[in-house]
Amino acid sequence: MTQLSQRLSHVLLTLGKELRESLRDRRTLVVMILFPLVVYPLLSLLAAQVAVARDRTRQARPSLVAVLGPDGMRDDLSARIRAQPKLLSLIERGSRADVAAGRLDSLAQLAETGASRAEIVYDASREESREAAERLSDVIASVLPAGCAPRFSLEKHNLAPEAGVGGYLLSKVLPLLIVLMVLLGAFYPAIDVTAGERERGTLETILASPIRRFDLLLGKVLAVTALAALTGLLNLASMSVTLIQVMRLADPGSTLQVPWTRAAAASAVVLPSAFLFASLFVAVGAVARGFKEAQHLLTPVYFLSIAPAVAGAVGEYRLTGLAAWIPCMNVTLLARELLLGHVSFLGALAALASTLACGCVALAVAAHIYGSERFVDPGPRERRPETIRSTANSNPPTAGQAMFLYALAFVLLYFVWLPLQRHNLVLGLLVSEWGGLLGLVVLFALFTRRPLADLLRIVRPPPRCLAGAALVGLSAWAAVAILSEWVSPVPKEVIEQLRRSLIPTDGSRGFWGTLALVALTPAICEEALFRGPILRGLRTRANPVAAAALTGLLFGVFHIELSRILPTALLGILLSVVTLESGSILPAMLTHFLNNASLVGLAYFRIDDKVAEFGATASAMIFMAGAALTALGLFLVHSGSRQARL
Amino acid sequence: MPEAAVILDGVCKSFGSLRAVVDLTLSVVPGEIYGLLGPNGAGKTTALRMLAGLLQPSSGRALLLGLDAGSLQAKTRMGFLSGSTGLYAHLTPRETLQYFGRVHGLSAIDVRRRTATLAGWLGLEKLLDRRCENLSSGEKQRVSLARAVLHDPPVLILDEPTAGLDVLASRSLRDFVRGERARGKAVLFSTHYLAEAELLCDRIGLLFRGRLLREGTPASIRAECGATTLEEAFLKLVDSE
Repeated sequence: MTQLSQRLSHVLLTLGKELRESLRDRRTLVVMILFPLVVYPLLSLLAAQVAVARDRTRQARPSLVAVLGPDGMRDDLSARIRAQPKLLSLIERGSRADVAAGRLDSLAQLAETGASRAEIVYDASREESREAAERLSDVIASVLPAGCAPRFSLEKHNLAPEAGVGGYLLSKVLPLLIVLMVLLGAFYPAIDVTAGERERGTLETILASPIRRFDLLLGKVLAVTALAALTGLLNLASMSVTLIQVMRLADPGSTLQVPWTRAAAASAVVLPSAFLFASLFVAVGAVARGFKEAQHLLTPVYFLSIAPAVAGAVGEYRLTGLAAWIPCMNVTLLARELLLGHVSFLGALAALASTLACGCVALAVAAHIYGSERFVDPGPRERRPETIRSTANSNPPTAGQAMFLYALAFVLLYFVWLPLQRHNLVLGLLVSEWGGLLGLVVLFALFTRRPLADLLRIVRPPPRCLAGAALVGLSAWAAVAILSEWVSPVPKEVIEQLRRSLIPTDGSRGFWGTLALVALTPAICEEALFRGPILRGLRTRANPVAAAALTGLLFGVFHIELSRILPTALLGILLSVVTLESGSILPAMLTHFLNNASLVGLAYFRIDDKVAEFGATASAMIFMAGAALTALGLFLVHSGSRQARL
Repeated sequence: MPEAAVILDGVCKSFGSLRAVVDLTLSVVPGEIYGLLGPNGAGKTTALRMLAGLLQPSSGRALLLGLDAGSLQAKTRMGFLSGSTGLYAHLTPRETLQYFGRVHGLSAIDVRRRTATLAGWLGLEKLLDRRCENLSSGEKQRVSLARAVLHDPPVLILDEPTAGLDVLASRSLRDFVRGERARGKAVLFSTHYLAEAELLCDRIGLLFRGRLLREGTPASIRAECGATTLEEAFLKLVDSE
């Protein structure tokens, strides 16, 4: 019995020791908390919102269709098609060749040989054509004679060759898989050649040898590129065969073929992607002290790389415009278009050039790290001065504390406040802002023994700073809104829905009530968290530009809605600049309040509807005026604080 | 007196506010073993890293055979070994030597010839085709030593090479270093085992908190401090600081 209790005691002692050690490792905590509670919800939100946007775009486009056949039957069906202008657009003349060439989405061929027969001609390797065929089927099925039996016997005829259909099916899955596999293929080799080399003790040896550091780095990057590319290619080949086999098993009558030519063409994205990820991972791995730290550093980079690839795969965007230049997303889209067999030359060029350019930038960063002495000896982990628990702590929060607060606020928002807001918007907003944001900051101040005024930097700013902040608040919304509209337009339904919920014009809340809820509350509560401990914490590890940019990005992501990330991130950056320049949180609160108040005023008095009707020239002028006034405001903040310092 | 092969001339090295090496001046001539001694954190490794071209001095000069220690030319004339030196676990010693030989510009034939010679000297014949991950600590250190001298450099920089080795392996390494001295090599050797330095070094420099406290032959330092051992002399010097 004694022996048993002694063994149990040893088990418990070991359990306690291991838990203590693991929970003291902040990186373990980050992986344990940040990823399941923040990153995964964010990724799923991103995917869901992109999918919704895709469906909305698809629904908004009427399918181009034509009808062939005897006059009477054709006229009847044509009239029914014309009655649905949002879904179908009737072209007077069309042929099978037009469908095959992509000039027409679908064709209805009517015939009366004994019974009425309708053949729907479509191209199964094109999404638009499949959609058009579905819509046409619905219309034809609705043509009912008096007896209510379908008037037409319906047949569908696919013009795409089997390989084309195979390419279409593979395009649904393979592009994202290729990127994921290349990422995975680069992950561990990159750690091994950087942190692994440091941990094995071979780094000093090779650095003391007559080899240029850039040559050493390039050799490593190319090795990781080769391994990642090999992983990608093997997966591409294996998944192509597997997916087609699965399709054949599901439909034994199918004659689907592996589109080897298209799969080989899609492999063109493997090497540039592998180079990008290898350079990126080697650059990040080079700053790690060991294997474990490299894993912790690379995991967020891995997920950040996945996000645009997921957006590309789910959104099914075309490889044009901005999408062709966004790393990770563009290679996913290029692989998809290559599998589908219709790729735009300029889009492909932009995707490859952008991917290689980003890889070169990452390589340059890695070369900078390899050339620095920190690479030889990263030194011990930063030690902060010991704080005496019984006295007030005047140190700024650490970057780790800043990220922890953000993660906690995000988790509360996602799992508690958003459901509450769906149940009761006003109550949910008030509780989430005053309790979830400001309350969190107050608790943090109490827990870490920091005076709240000190933590938030509640310092009386010079009058010129306040004037500058006011100017930014009154003007930035114009520049930010128009810029966002140009880069990534927010769907009108989203704006309208937001306006209806936040700023009801039926008088149920009143102008001042709306102002207090939508302008004053976030100006105090959101600023307290973001321009307080988060910005100050990040500033301890990053230069002012990086700290402002990162805080802005976190602020944007915190607004959850994909289409609002860009404008809120831009606003967040401006607010961070105002705070850093003025050395006080109060000007940023003023800016935030006036920015939101301006938007409330515009919406409340329906002025924004008129603004939305402005043409491109007027928009450009408003943008320039807004940007100029914002710049002037920032200058006033800067000069005001400088004057005060002198 | 031959011209010095290794020169540290008024070298300082700071990491932020930490001054790791302060105004360090020393030289090593060909055919000499110079021991850099001091406790942990004295600045020995930082000094040797500057000579190996891994770190740049904050001020002063670090020269090997008259060349800037950070240059590729200097690196081709220097062999570097430290106690923490590791090997590529999945390569064999032969593959490791091939890689470093080619990096040093040796031809494949020269690498093979030199590998055979060193394998004989260091007793590596049976180890050459085993993976490094399967070697013992002593065997790994012998392979590392072979790697450091593969290109027959005139200067050897050895940073605590006997750390973690047993008595026999330490003796074998010391014998090898003596052999290199006999072949006219300049050897700079750091250790915190004072007895080992006494056995091996022609001259020693005592380093403490980044500064060179004393320099001379082991006998002259003992005599100067009125001590019977180098350890006693070192403790007296540290106490007087």
